[in-house]
Amino acid sequence: MAKKTYDLLFKLLLIGDSGVGKTCILFRFSDNHFTTTFISTIGIDFKIKTVELRGKKIKLQIWDTAGQERFHTITTSYYRGAMGIMLVYDITNEKTFDDIVKWLRNIDEHANEDVEKMILGNKCDMEEKRVVSKERGEAIAREHGIRFMETSAKANINIDRAFSELAEAILDKTAGREADADHSRIAVERRPSRAPPSRACCT
Amino acid sequence: MAEMENDVSPIETEQREYVEDGKNKLVVQCKFCGSKILDKKSSNYIAQEKDLPLMQQASNNDREVQNETIKEFYHVENMYTFENIGFTHTVDNHKYLSCADCDAGPVGYHDTNTRHSYVAISRIVHSK
Repeated sequence: MAKKTYDLLFKLLLIGDSGVGKTCILFRFSDNHFTTTFISTIGIDFKIKTVELRGKKIKLQIWDTAGQERFHTITTSYYRGAMGIMLVYDITNEKTFDDIVKWLRNIDEHANEDVEKMILGNKCDMEEKRVVSKERGEAIAREHGIRFMETSAKANINIDRAFSELAEAILDKTAGREADADHSRIAVERRPSRAPPSRACCT
Repeated sequence: MAEMENDVSPIETEQREYVEDGKNKLVVQCKFCGSKILDKKSSNYIAQEKDLPLMQQASNNDREVQNETIKEFYHVENMYTFENIGFTHTVDNHKYLSCADCDAGPVGYHDTNTRHSYVAISRIVHSK
């Protein structure tokens, strides 16, 4: 068995109605340099991303629902092992926001009870089509004691920040529980993290 | 590009530049956006022939996938060895690997039976 080159591994899920942009959060369709037709045809199942938080090297494994939500077949198996959930709605679509409560119930039923959640109001680049105010998003998050952020997968606003915050919240929770003595750890070289996009967040 | 008949021997000499003790001597990055895919010395060099779909498919040919034969890979046994990588949905016991930041790909493949992954060396860049 190879030595572990990381300190922690967090499995994260993207949940929410169809069309809220979950897939775009995972797969940015970045048309900046060239089109990845082959990859976009098949679609991304999950990604592994490495972040460094408080000197710990953390691997995030991020899963999309692959459209299962359309058939209401999101069940325990999808939630298994999940430590964090991004609950996504579309700020230009009222129903997706109303359904957040439904998704919270679904999570309560199927996911581990101490799973860390975060609500994302996505598509915040489409201000002219907004129907859900930021205040309402903040209010529902407060009501359920969950973190909240507005994001735009398309304009790459707050996406990396949202994942870092969720990872940090899980780290807070797992601190004190991660003293697994038999994990052989190797020294992790410090490297400058890739600069986050400096674009302003939605207001 | 060199002629086809000349492309066997250069591999022997060139591989020393980026392979050391059978491992990737340098950091492996995405060709397009520079996203870090593998840390140095985290994978094993392997010479094997495998067809991979082209990263850019001709748009006039939407039915047939165009492939190219890749001869050199980095073998990654545990998927969590990757720094940043995307896995596609499964097609015939394979998942294709893509850049986690710009989604360029396939940069390699993952065998769902063995759960091992292979990064195509011709589709990445090395850096210190």
